[in-house]
Parts: sequence; C-alpha cells; structure tokens
Amino acid sequence: MYSKYVIVVLVATFAAFASGQSYEDKRCKCVCPSPAAVFNKTVADKTADHRRHYIANVPPNKCNCAGVIIPRDGPEILGREQEFCPRCECKYENRNTTIIKVVVIIVIWVIMLLVVYMGFLICLDPLINKRAKASYQEHTNEDDESTLGGPSTQMGARGNVLNRVTHQQDKWKRQVREQRRNIYDRHTMLN
Amino acid sequence: MERFPLKSSAPKMGTTYQSVYKKGGNASNGRNVHSTSEDDMVDITPGLQQAAETTPTNHGTFQLYEHAGRNSAASANSYIAQYFSSSVGDAVIFSGMQGDDDIPGIGQYDDFHTIDWQRDIARDRMRHRYIVKKRQDSLWDLIKGAHDAWSGWVCVLLVGVCTGVVAGVIDIGASWMTDLKFGICPQAFWFNREQCCWSSNETTFDHGNCSQWMTWAQVFGESRDGAGAYIISYLFYIVWALIFAALSASLVRMFAPYACGSGIPEIKTILSGFIIRGYLGKWTLIIKVVGLILSVSSGLSLGKEGPMVHIASCLGNILSYLFPKYGRNEAKKREILSAAAAAGVSVAFGAPIGGVLFSLEEVSYYFPLKTLWRSFFCALIAAFILRSINPFGNEHSVLFFVEYNKPWIFFELIPFVGLGIIGGCIATIFIKANIWWCRYRKYSKLGQYPVTEVLVVTLVTAIVAYPNPYTRMNTSQLIYLLFNQCGISNSDPLCDYDRNFTDVSSAIMRAPAKPGVYNAIGLLFLALILKLVMTVFTFGIKVPCGLFIPSLALGAIAGRIVGIGVEQLAFHHSKIWIFSGECSTGDDCITPGLYAMVGAAAVLGGVTRMTVSLVVIMFELTGGVRYIVPLMAAAMASKWVGDALGRQGIYDAHIALNGYPFLDSKDEFQHTSLAADVMQPKRNDTLAVITQDSMTVDDVETLLKETEHNGYPVVVSKESQYLVGFVLRRDLNLAIANARRTMEGITGQSVVVFAGSGHPPPGPPPCLPLNRILDMAPITVTDQTPMETVVDMFRKLGLRQTLVTHNGRLLGVITKKDVLRHVKQMDNEDPSSVLFN
Repeated sequence: MYSKYVIVVLVATFAAFASGQSYEDKRCKCVCPSPAAVFNKTVADKTADHRRHYIANVPPNKCNCAGVIIPRDGPEILGREQEFCPRCECKYENRNTTIIKVVVIIVIWVIMLLVVYMGFLICLDPLINKRAKASYQEHTNEDDESTLGGPSTQMGARGNVLNRVTHQQDKWKRQVREQRRNIYDRHTMLN
Repeated sequence: MERFPLKSSAPKMGTTYQSVYKKGGNASNGRNVHSTSEDDMVDITPGLQQAAETTPTNHGTFQLYEHAGRNSAASANSYIAQYFSSSVGDAVIFSGMQGDDDIPGIGQYDDFHTIDWQRDIARDRMRHRYIVKKRQDSLWDLIKGAHDAWSGWVCVLLVGVCTGVVAGVIDIGASWMTDLKFGICPQAFWFNREQCCWSSNETTFDHGNCSQWMTWAQVFGESRDGAGAYIISYLFYIVWALIFAALSASLVRMFAPYACGSGIPEIKTILSGFIIRGYLGKWTLIIKVVGLILSVSSGLSLGKEGPMVHIASCLGNILSYLFPKYGRNEAKKREILSAAAAAGVSVAFGAPIGGVLFSLEEVSYYFPLKTLWRSFFCALIAAFILRSINPFGNEHSVLFFVEYNKPWIFFELIPFVGLGIIGGCIATIFIKANIWWCRYRKYSKLGQYPVTEVLVVTLVTAIVAYPNPYTRMNTSQLIYLLFNQCGISNSDPLCDYDRNFTDVSSAIMRAPAKPGVYNAIGLLFLALILKLVMTVFTFGIKVPCGLFIPSLALGAIAGRIVGIGVEQLAFHHSKIWIFSGECSTGDDCITPGLYAMVGAAAVLGGVTRMTVSLVVIMFELTGGVRYIVPLMAAAMASKWVGDALGRQGIYDAHIALNGYPFLDSKDEFQHTSLAADVMQPKRNDTLAVITQDSMTVDDVETLLKETEHNGYPVVVSKESQYLVGFVLRRDLNLAIANARRTMEGITGQSVVVFAGSGHPPPGPPPCLPLNRILDMAPITVTDQTPMETVVDMFRKLGLRQTLVTHNGRLLGVITKKDVLRHVKQMDNEDPSSVLFN
C-alpha cells in the first residue's frame, strides 16, 4: 500500500545525499606514543599517556611507519626512526560509506513508517473500521484460512484489490490480537 | 535412496503394504474410478502394468503413511494377502503427492500442536518417489525433478544470503543508533562516531571524539568538557535511551508480540516439533529486526546474538514457502530451520563452524547429516555475505574480534579452571535470579504493564550506567576492550601501565600497573555487579533481547580482573618457580585479555550449558587455535559447577517456565511406571473409537462434537476392538467438509468407510471413503511396556501419539501431552503447566 511512496521518497533522499560525499573509503591509521615519551627518559607521566594518531590515504603496502609517519613528522624524529617506528602500530582499514548511508537511511525510514502506521492504527483505524467490523466476524477459524490460502484468494477474486487488502489486514490484526492475548494477558508464552 | 525398498520375492503384488487398498465395487464417488497406479515402487504384475499405462493415473488420491522399517516385509505381505484376494482389477491406490484433488489442508497442523515426524517424512518420501518416477516421462518433468533435488540447497543459499544482509543492516543500524545517544556527525548524519572520525587529520583526540563529531553538549553550544556539558550529555543519554526503548516496546506490542525476548527457547521447541503459528512470520521478522536495533541502541543490558537466531529462523521459514517440498511439510521445514539457526549464530559471532555446532548441540532436535552439510553451507554463505558488507570496517563480522598470538604457560590452567568455577557460579546466580524474576512477572501484576516495565528498566539502566565509562559504552565495545591486549593504540585507563618506551630491546608489555589500572579494576567491578543485576531484570522484558553479549561481558570483566591480578603477580614475583622459565626472561608471559576471553567463555558456558560450540565460537572469534585447551578447561569447569548448583541452563529453564512441550533428549527417564499407568482413558472411561466401516457421517460428527481428542483410533468393530489405524481429528473434519462440498450424494446417513470388508451397505446414500486420511501404521505398544521405552520412542521417533494394546486389542492412547505431563508429575512439578493443545 505504501510501497510506492516509500520508493519515491527513498530515491529522492538518495539523490539529495549522493552529491555530498566527502568521506574516504580507505585509510591507513597509525598510532604512536608521543615522540617525547620515546626520546626523553625523564618525561612526566602526563605527556607519556598521549597517543598520536596518523591517518593517511596510502596504498596498503605503504601503510607503515616509513609511508605514513616519516612524511608527516619527519623533522621531529629525524635520525631516530629506529627507536620510534617499532613503537607505532599501523593498520589498513576500509569501509563502504555508501552501504552505511543506504542502510541507515532505510532504517530511519522503516522506523518512521512503522511509527506512522502505529499511530494510524491507534488513532484513526477504530473510527474508520467501526462500520466494517460486522462483516468479518464470521471468520473465526483463522488458522485454516491462513494455512490454506484457498479461501482468501477466492475472497480476493470476488472483491477488488482493496477488499483483499482489507481482508488480509483484518486477518493479520486478529492474529496479533491472539498473540497479545497469549503474551500480555494470559502469560502463556515468552515470559 | 533405494528404489524398491519393500520389494520382496514372495507375492508379486502390492509390496507396499499400506499403499494397497482394495477398493470395493462401489466406486460411485467419481474419484477413484481409474485408480490404478504406475508408480514403480509397486511391483505389479505385467498385466496390471499394462493397464496402468493406458488408464489415467491417479496419484494423490490416497494419503499414504509409509513408515519404513516399522514392520517387516513378511508381515506386510501377509497383511496384504489378507486384503488382496485375487482380482487384478482391484485398485492399487497410493499417493503422497500433493495432487490436484488432494484435500486442502491435509498435512498441516493447528496452532500449538506437535507434528508427527514419521508421517511427514513418509509423505515426503512418497512425493520424492513420485517425482523420481515421473522424471522419465518428459523433459519438463525432468527439470521439475532436478529443481526438486537442488531446492534444499537453493533454499539454504537464499537463507544464508538474506541472513547475512539482515545481520549487516542490524549491525550498521545499531552501531549508528548507539552513538546517536552521545552525539551526531553533522556533515554526514549516517555515520557513527568511529566512522565520522574516520579520516580526521588531528593527531590527538580523546576517547574517540574528533572535531567532526559533535556531542550533544556541543550542539547546544557548550564546550566539550565541563559540568554543564556533562549534565547535557547525561540527559540526552537518558532521553534517547527512553525513546528507543519505548519505540521498541510499543512496536513489539502493536505489530508482533511474538518478536519479544530472545527466541532461542521457542526455536528449540519449534525444532523439536511444535507449531507456533506466526512465530516465524513476516511481521515477527520485521519487528524483531527493527526492535532489536532499537533495543540494542537503548543501552539496555542485552545483546543481538540470540535474536539473530530467531531472525534467521524467520527467514528460513519465509523462504521455505518458495519451495513446496519444505513449505508444505513441517518435518522437512525443520531441516531448513536448523540450517537457518546455524546461519544466525554464524553472523552473530562471525563463527560459521561455531554456528553449525550450536545448531547441532543446542537448538536442533532432529539433525541428520544432510542437515549438517546444509547448515555448514548456509552458515558459510551468511558469514561470507556479512563479511562482504563489512559492517564494522574491521574486515570481520563482529566488533570484538581480536587476534592473539601469545603463548600461555602451563601454570595458567589453574586460574583458567578457577575462572570456569567463577563463571559457573555467576551463571547459576543469574539463572536462578532471572527465573525467579520471570516467574514473579508471570504470576503477579507486574506482567500487566509490559511497556512501563521496559521504560523503568531502561531509565534505571541509563541513570546508573552513564557515570561509569565501562557501562556507558556499548557492551560489544566493552568486550572488545577487555579482550584486547594493551598495545600502543589502547589508551584506556585499563592499560595504564608504567611502560618503558625508550629501551628498544626490552618488551614494552611487561610493566607494573599504575593507579589507572587499579581505578579501572574498581570501575570494572562495579560494572560487573551492575551488569549482573540489570541483566537479571532485562532478560525477559518485552523487547527483543538476547543474553549472549551480557553474559560474555560479565565473564570478560571477571576474567580481566583475574588476569590483571595474575599478571601483576607474575611481574612482581617473576622468580617463583611457577613463572620461572617463561616469565623471567623479560618477555611478557601473562595476557590479561586472554583471561577475559576465558572468563567470557566460562560465564556463557555456564548460562547456556554449551561446551563444544562455545569453545569453537570463542576460538573463531580470536582466530587462533592455540587457546582451545584453556577454553575447554574453563567451559568444562563452568558446566560442572553449573550442573552441580542448578540443573538447567537458561534456555531449558525458560522452556520449563513457559511449559513448552519440549521432550528433552538430554534428560533420562528413570521411573518404573508402565504404559498402562499413563495411557488415556483411565479406568471407568471409554475410549472414543471409530469403526472402520459401520459408522455414518452423522455418527462421526457427533463423536467429533462430543469429544475433544485430536485423533481417533479406527477399529474393526466396537465389540472386537481390533486396531485398524489412526485418524486425526483435523483430517477428519477437513475430509468430511471437503466431501460434502465436492462429492454428490453425501448425506448424514452415508457410511464412512476407512478400510474394510469390501461389502459396503447398498443403498442410495453412497459411502464416503476416507482411506486417504487413515494412518494404517500407527505405532503401538503393549500395556506392559515400561514408560522408559515409551519416552524413548517419543523422543527418537518424534511421535505424536502411540496406541496401547492388550492381547492384540486396542486399550488406549498415549499422546505426547500425556508423556510430558507424566514426566512433570514424576519430577514433582505441576503437570498442568504444559502449554499444549
């Protein structure tokens, strides 16, 4: 029922965000102690705790001290690379920003849709459905219908699509009511 | 599969003992007129074969319940000989195919019923034979046969792919939403903190906060630090947690109440052959996924691993409907569900083999080798897909993957076993407290306020958790931190050692702990208590929640504390004989992270009582087989302690609490009762039976109205009580309704013929043949059979009921419900608590 709108809105959202991608998908991250802590034996505790992060966009085989730290902090550790470099940890990582973006936006949309639908069911549906309620009370044995599929398709063939949707929705609501009774009222399951 | 399983040399006809049905001369129902079959499983005489090729075949007219191996061929033949008089023209009818004129709904089950494994497997075997036979007919049938042959693999492939994708969505969504409690990435709101700071150019940033990432305090114009900022952050943390939890609880309540909880006890019960309609449905899937993201993000003490099993099983159930072979056969469907459960654990821990073993050890009931391979494949595909999505940007499918390469020394086995004992104790405390609380919720007024309860638990958790950095952070991150070694990149107080950075030749790992470590230990101890208490109250609230992660965290905290202790002991007393050799050389010998891992395995093992799968999961998490022995020692110690202190694991305890009809194959039945003590009816009652060919439709309908049994034995006559077969209530209802709809002339006076003499009463109302729904091979025991044997039969054969005979005459019925009640009664528990129809 909502799927068309969902697709339209999703496409629009993606189009809006697709342009502004400024984040890299690959990085080489190196973490080192501060040079002072390595070279100066009498350094105070405070500064020794600080770590330095180096993030660079280099090929995986350059993801090491020589490829990342020397070009950046060369002067500071000049001549003492042998001491400094073994203390550094370099890690090459990659990610896919597009997937993250798409997934997060889809999650937001699904939650919003569910909340809107929930609001609809709580507020508006009782008003709308008051009149139509009587016609469905005969179908008490929901299990047979849900398993067979036969009767419900016959129903649909008779009525139009809207009828079928309403019927399915009604059946589903009955099932949820039954589940709620099992769990919240009688506490027979999932305690 | 053998093609002529029941072929014997003796009589040439009707070797499938039950498939043979001598049709009476009266074939006026218009259905079975030309019912000669050509299925190759029946070795019919050539003349009959000839006839079969010319007459239209009629598969799908007789519901065959063939139970291989139950009877010997000899008895079958004599049985047949009795019925097969002489005439070649007599019909040999059988089916198993879902033919066009099959009664709709046969083979399905009602809600809260157990399935009959034997019957369903026999149905599938018949269907398979039919397809094999048809394959030679045309190319199209050949293609259909090929499709049928590979449909199991295609189905688990699809399940694996979908599970991987859904797991990726949950991982990404939950990690983003978790960080939403702390702040936002204004440039790209869809990034969590880690991703936001991905390519930050700053060389130093504290606790992962970079300039791109705005905490809520900064959004509202405060500075990053300071009292005001703290209060704003605290408030936002609580408010977001409440919003997420409220959303999750109300979505669950509104759309799919079955989506709450972990789902593993229910999956176990379903896999043992129980029907819970809607438990694996579409809405449950959607709400469980969304609700899980929300509830994990709300900072409650829960994990996503258990619900992943439920989600994967939902996917397995939904996708199995694409393949009628599985969708329409409950026993076959459970093969797919077993594979799906393996895929669920596979993506939850990034441990494919662990997932397969979990499915085998913990959840599955019926697990043939074929299912093992399918589970393996399914778990492989799911792990591969999730790994391709790379949700955490660490090339692994779990956040807390760590890579270890350090050796351990022999002495350390003592603390490892000690951790196992601690883990067993923590697990027992947790199980007892949680079951007590859940029982209280079930029977008190508290159960009437599910959403309020969720909100209160969330509020308390958020308020108490925020001040302590170890409970404030995401539990997966906490586990990662605890598992990790203290390397350069780890600047947490937990790694506040007095390291010597200058001397290149000395190892930096060995160092005395500084006050930061001891502070961290204190905080961790508080976190341990808080998490234990909160998890007791959290597991069982009406949102999707699992307990793998909390129990791993509990164990990891305890393990890390012990590990630091042992490490410092080894550092300060490296000359004691136990450490000498390994530790005196100056290399690091004790890795606290390893203790955290062993502790995590111990608590999880104590809570769930897993052993093999747990160890495999843990070593797949660490990517090294070096630690199998420590993990095994801890898991075993924890299981022993747990079993000694409390009989059941958490899932079995929840199954018992809910009264699910789960006949545990691990328990032994040690009482001396006999089948006659358990069977229905008790003395003074009469057994409701149907006669094979003398009751009218009205009689049967009256019987159906007056009694509530789910099945009726069919006997030759009420006087003799010789057993013919067994017919299910549901099938009887459907068949009579169907006959009234489709057959002409069926009235209340029509005689119902199940099997029989071949002399139906002549007359205007034609008789109603119901041979198709009759199970002619019900399992029988005598009244003197010990219950031990009967319980074993129920477990191993997956029976739904068995008939009790005495001197060859029918005496009564034992259903699974009777067995479960009897077991409960014998264990001094309330037998009426069994949830059953």
